[in-house]
Amino acid sequence: MSGRPSQPVKGYSRAERLLAQFHEEVPSQGVDWKMLRDLLPFAKKHGRLYLTAFLLMPVGALMAVLQPRMLQKAVDATGLGGDPGVLAQVAITYACIVVIRFAASFCETYAMQLAGQRTMADLRGNVFAHIQKLSIRHFDRTPVGRIVTRVTNDIDSMGELFASGAVTAVGDLLLLTGVVVSMLLLDVKLSLVAFMAVPPLLFAVEFFRRQLRTAQRKIRGRIASLNAFLNEQVQGIQVVQAFSRERECAEAYADINRDYRDANRLAIRNDALLFSAVDAISTIAVGLVLWYAASRLELLGDAVSAERTKGTFIAFYAYIQQFFVPVRDLSTKYTMIQSAFASAERVFGLLNVTDYDAPLLSEVPAPAPGLALALAPEVSFSHVVFRYKPVGPPILDDVSFSIARGETVAIVGATGAGKSTVTALVQRFYDVEGGSVQVAGRDVRSYPRDELRARFAVVQQDVFLFAGDLLANVALGDTKPDRVRAETALQRASATHLFEARGGLDMRIAERGQNLSAGERQLVSFARALYRDPELLILDEATANIDSETEARLQHAVDELLAGRTAIVIAHRLSTIRRVGRILVFHHGQIVEQGSHAELLAAQGVYARLYQLQFALEAAAS
Amino acid sequence: MSSGRGVLSYLGSHLKVLGVGTGFLLVTNGLERSIPWLLKNGVDAFSASDLGAARRAAWMVFALAAAVLLVRTLSRVLIFNVARDVEFELREELLAKLHRLGSTFFGKSSAGDIMSRATNDLGQVRLLLGFGSMNLVNAVIAYVSALALMLTISPALTLWALAPYPLFLLAMRMFVRKLYVVSQEQQKVLGKLAERAQEYLSGVRVVRAYTADAFEAARFDAANQDALKRTMSVVSLRALMTPVLVGISSLGTVLVLYRGGLMIDRGELSKGSLLAFYAYFAQLIWPTMAAGYIFSVVQRGRAAYARVREVLDAPPDIVEVASPRAVERVDGRLGRGALRVSHLTFAYGDRKVLDDVSFELPEDGTLAILGRTGSGKTTLAGLLARLLPTPEGRVFLDGQDITTLKLHELRRAVGYAQQEPFLFSTTVARNIGFSLDDADGPEGAERVRAAAREASILDELEALPDGLDTIVGERGVQLSGGQKQRVALARALLNSPSVLVLDDPLSAVDAKTERAILDALDRAAAGRTLILITSRTAAAARCDQILVLDAGKVIERGTHAELVRNKGFYAEQHKRQSLEQELSQL
Repeated sequence: MSGRPSQPVKGYSRAERLLAQFHEEVPSQGVDWKMLRDLLPFAKKHGRLYLTAFLLMPVGALMAVLQPRMLQKAVDATGLGGDPGVLAQVAITYACIVVIRFAASFCETYAMQLAGQRTMADLRGNVFAHIQKLSIRHFDRTPVGRIVTRVTNDIDSMGELFASGAVTAVGDLLLLTGVVVSMLLLDVKLSLVAFMAVPPLLFAVEFFRRQLRTAQRKIRGRIASLNAFLNEQVQGIQVVQAFSRERECAEAYADINRDYRDANRLAIRNDALLFSAVDAISTIAVGLVLWYAASRLELLGDAVSAERTKGTFIAFYAYIQQFFVPVRDLSTKYTMIQSAFASAERVFGLLNVTDYDAPLLSEVPAPAPGLALALAPEVSFSHVVFRYKPVGPPILDDVSFSIARGETVAIVGATGAGKSTVTALVQRFYDVEGGSVQVAGRDVRSYPRDELRARFAVVQQDVFLFAGDLLANVALGDTKPDRVRAETALQRASATHLFEARGGLDMRIAERGQNLSAGERQLVSFARALYRDPELLILDEATANIDSETEARLQHAVDELLAGRTAIVIAHRLSTIRRVGRILVFHHGQIVEQGSHAELLAAQGVYARLYQLQFALEAAAS
Repeated sequence: MSSGRGVLSYLGSHLKVLGVGTGFLLVTNGLERSIPWLLKNGVDAFSASDLGAARRAAWMVFALAAAVLLVRTLSRVLIFNVARDVEFELREELLAKLHRLGSTFFGKSSAGDIMSRATNDLGQVRLLLGFGSMNLVNAVIAYVSALALMLTISPALTLWALAPYPLFLLAMRMFVRKLYVVSQEQQKVLGKLAERAQEYLSGVRVVRAYTADAFEAARFDAANQDALKRTMSVVSLRALMTPVLVGISSLGTVLVLYRGGLMIDRGELSKGSLLAFYAYFAQLIWPTMAAGYIFSVVQRGRAAYARVREVLDAPPDIVEVASPRAVERVDGRLGRGALRVSHLTFAYGDRKVLDDVSFELPEDGTLAILGRTGSGKTTLAGLLARLLPTPEGRVFLDGQDITTLKLHELRRAVGYAQQEPFLFSTTVARNIGFSLDDADGPEGAERVRAAAREASILDELEALPDGLDTIVGERGVQLSGGQKQRVALARALLNSPSVLVLDDPLSAVDAKTERAILDALDRAAAGRTLILITSRTAAAARCDQILVLDAGKVIERGTHAELVRNKGFYAEQHKRQSLEQELSQL
């Protein structure tokens, strides 16, 4: 980046090497046909459509090769030894051939497209379903953008296989075969002469295609670097300006830009050569046919065969045109197939990730028998050890506590003390490293994940609303939202009148609920929990500054929520804390104190300090 | 450069190449038209028993084929290269422009939007200049020459051949328009799909907590089906387009066959002429098909160029004055470091962020600026190095109004480290040595290590997989917030400016590291002016002067001891933080 030396200098090549590795696109190793095997199960479902398309291909090819024959017939019908009477018949036949050919071609393309796009839609649905099964830990590690790209761009690029007709390369091959056979049927010797142009053609196509591929690979790599560089310049523009490094950055950019341009020039040169060479060779083939026809006529020329040769020559001219166009396009199609396969590799790579969310563990002890289970606490942690990263101090270090049915327990502690981790572990977003977490007497790892999570309602500090209507947001998780129930939930959260004027339950909620205030979002999330009416409530109170009217409304809603439920509250409000029977004080990943507000204050320990810090100002204000 | 520079003006410096390329294009077309004529002569020579002439025609065809190969290649290479050269220039111009733009522009446009202009739009402009212009010229030449030759062979047959063309043009117009509409819709729906996936991943904890996977799957499925439908309407239109268009033009072929056959029979036309006529007619199909595509390329290219132009024409916030003064050099360093701010007021549009702020800081002095989030601290920092549009006559470095100084020298004299530092996706050494020309050389490497040591980050960096050569940043190894801040601190220290502005360099570090950094800052402050923006009173306490901002106004100023006695905002913060400190040590 900064002042990259124009040439790698010996002695400190490690940075250069690492950067080169970093910027290098993983070179695609040609086309890995094994990928087709992974694709097969998705394609099978639409087998009939594929079959239709493949069956229509020979029809189109056959019609195509009949066209030059009609040309010949028309020419032969006239002049010496001809019968002009058949001209009209030939013209009509030609018209029919054209209609059949293009009808077949449309039906074939349509069937192929439908099959292909449906296959891609199925694949996309499958990828999304797979994502839904992956663990949260996997998402912590993988950037969101990368996963989104798999669902969108990568599958689109696979779809291009069908959309731009790379698959119909099969049809092209059929047409080529048809042309060769037709030519041979028409005139064997003349065909062989024309075919003399094929070896140089294949050589030219293969040669330039290779050059083109190298250039295109380089272009892809360069354009990726170019975009990444520019993106970073935009993101880090302040750094560039603050350090006055505009000139140096522009130079580094120019280096990549120049490389990119040069790679493009290489591609342009080879593309132009390929295009022109195919064209020239096809012209030479026509010339060869002309030359040979003339030489042959010289040996055994009578007037009739001279006339016949004219018709044959015209048909050959048309066949040679038909032959060379698909050959030229094959290389473009190959490039497309390559990039589609690279995408397929990434998509199937994601489908092969098996880091699943909350899988059932069989080695976990079975639930205790009936009576003991009934008496078991609703939630209990025993000697839980947990960390997000494999190294470093644990976030929870030997934490044990239990919450009886119907009890509300508050968790307090400084930032980073492990409070939110407790709620993540109860819902089993992560698995513990040591000890166990039990819900209703059973280890969370012995529950099917939906059965476990269906027991809770969670109110998060940072409310997440989805784009859609208010009803869907309140009734989240319910496939058949119940309007009456949602209405009641909103009422109990004292939120009904807030939304009445804006369409009530039918109000549109924007992406992430941007059209609601922070307080309104909180109330929607309370209504969401009330709609669910769970046995167990997890409430992570918001810390956001909210006006006093909303504050009062929120307080009322919290009372509604807590009534008659087992609840874990991560408390940020004094009013909530005061009415909770038992407070667990977390400090550096451990429970250091527990008791009621009054007891803890009297103890003059961590809680007393926290109280001073967190609540004293609030108390003074109210 | 102010505005309205047309896209064609970029071709100005390439006119010579472009002219030669177009010349070759003309020659290519001429040669291409000669080939059917030669074939006609050859075929007609069959019956005249002048087979020598037919063979001579064949030899001429070989020669022409070779000539076309050469000329066509040259014309394509020359014209397409010009388009690439223009793209190259536009890219350079774009980055140079972005470097000059400031917060007004970047506040308005998202990075995604800028990138889309630099990638998609630029690509469209290139298509317009290369592919579009070449095919446009080619189509015109091909049409004129092929039609002229067809008319020479037989005006009547030409009319018959072109009879279906009005229908052809009508159908093409319809396809092109319709395709544009359905493609737009398809793009929108594909965007929706990305949104759905993105939303799911951002809200994954809520979705799972509420076992709402089925709900999300249903939503995704709806978007997926919609995308399938839209994609199908695009591809089926495309599937229909080629057969219909080629079919219509084949109608012309049918007419040529029939009428041509009759004419031969009546002796009005030779068989060779019919062949040549057929060949010319076939040569028209591609340019006609391409015309529809070219039309949309031109349309999209112009719209894309307008979007690129918006960036290129955006007015920069910060412009150097006509004849800027140099910053005084002292012992090889830019500036002595005496800073004076007098009655500085600053607003983003209508929103006033700083209101009448004044202070004076002598050479080697230290100043802490404290305040809540949104009190204007970061804006003040940005104004000192003129990273924001500093008003004239308000900020003085060594007695000089900074708006009259050379911009590059000013920014080198006043170093600035962001609160949420941006690291480039390159080695950590190159990030620290950002201001060096050769961060990897022996001398550079030593300075990088020294700076990293000063910022108390060297040990941690050496423990990374590839040590100081580890690639960090967005696409590399993710450093923690505290590590990033210290890398940025090292980057700022290495630049060794005479005034160092640090925007909350401690917000994401733990207590132990904080002490180490504060010690480093004490050392760094020796010999330079230091402005420390912080929320930590422990850090502010070490500075000679403290300024407390609230809603853009200075509400308290003085030394640590004075402010603690004052019992204002500062004193309250100090008390809170002491408690926190105490708590974390329990």
